[in-house]
Amino acid sequence: MLERIGSRRLLIVAALATAVIVGVFSVTNLASSTVYYLTPSEAKLRTLPTGQLVRLGGLVKVGSLSIRPLSFHGPNEFEFVITDGSVDVRVLGQGAIPGLLREGAGAIVEGSFTADATFIATQVIAKHDEVYTAPTAGATPAHRTSLP
Amino acid sequence: MIETTLERGVGLRIRPWLGIAAAASFVVASFMALIWAPADAVQGEVYRIIYVHVPSAWLAYLAFVVVFLASVGWLWSRRPLFDAIAVASAEIGVLFTGLALVAGSIWAKPTWGVWWTWEPRLVTTAVMFVMYVGYLLLRGLSTDFQRRATRAAILGVILVIDVPIVHLSVLWANSLHQLPTVLRAAGGPALDSSMLLTLMVSVAAFTLVYAYFMSARVAIELVRQERLWIRT
Repeated sequence: MLERIGSRRLLIVAALATAVIVGVFSVTNLASSTVYYLTPSEAKLRTLPTGQLVRLGGLVKVGSLSIRPLSFHGPNEFEFVITDGSVDVRVLGQGAIPGLLREGAGAIVEGSFTADATFIATQVIAKHDEVYTAPTAGATPAHRTSLP
Repeated sequence: MIETTLERGVGLRIRPWLGIAAAASFVVASFMALIWAPADAVQGEVYRIIYVHVPSAWLAYLAFVVVFLASVGWLWSRRPLFDAIAVASAEIGVLFTGLALVAGSIWAKPTWGVWWTWEPRLVTTAVMFVMYVGYLLLRGLSTDFQRRATRAAILGVILVIDVPIVHLSVLWANSLHQLPTVLRAAGGPALDSSMLLTLMVSVAAFTLVYAYFMSARVAIELVRQERLWIRT
């Protein structure tokens, strides 16, 4: 009986030790090896081949966002500059853009670079922060849930 | 026998009150979340999904930490009650991980612009969901109670490692998911006091639902154990 209890406790210690080792390994390795997107500077540094699918993340440069309807019911054509403060990338694309996409706010684009370093986006994702506040009187929320 | 009677007696006496408290707090939380709390300055009304999404994710964490503690309890003492707690909590944890994923997806589409993207928080949460589904599947592999409980307990101890990984994944560089709003590294909670109170009430309501589900599910498992002559 004593022996059985001893081996049981050993099992717990072994399981806990495995858990800690696996945990430390995954946290330290995953954090450095998983890249969800590149910043414009990182993309420039890597000199990606044209047509290579990549995600690019940064801020939508103030004054750069323009959205034009291609036809009355058709998709929109959009253009903006994504920046990390040091490198600017011109982004072109067609289709839906998220309701929260605003100038000066974070965005992530999926697509590829053309030969002249323009980025053709197939998907635009808006990034937003963890801050929530009530709207001030008279102001309308940037994003409304009604259909456009 | 004394232990079983005690466990079941306590469960029976508390459970109706837990149910009433859970239902009542859900009514209050719904009113606060849908009517009383203000809209968000940036997101408008859609941010209200936070009152389902965050409590669901919290319950997933809580449930899997309980699985871990009960697993250690089983390995340490071999009391069948611990195995009953582990399986009950794992099932409820899978349910609320799924709910957090679904609510998050519904929130992501109108704000981020996508239902799903391969972002660290989303991936680690999906991994957590799949791993605990695997935990429940593993429990079905053996009909020998001792063996099943021990295997499950070892897995229950190891899998808990994904809980801090999920929580910390938003801090990794270049991710999309917003950082924690309430448990912030610097400064207090980053939301209006009325929003914070609503979130706290929602979390309390969800936690009461967890307690209610647990009391019912553990009782079912104890009956099962008794039928299988595991406890006499």
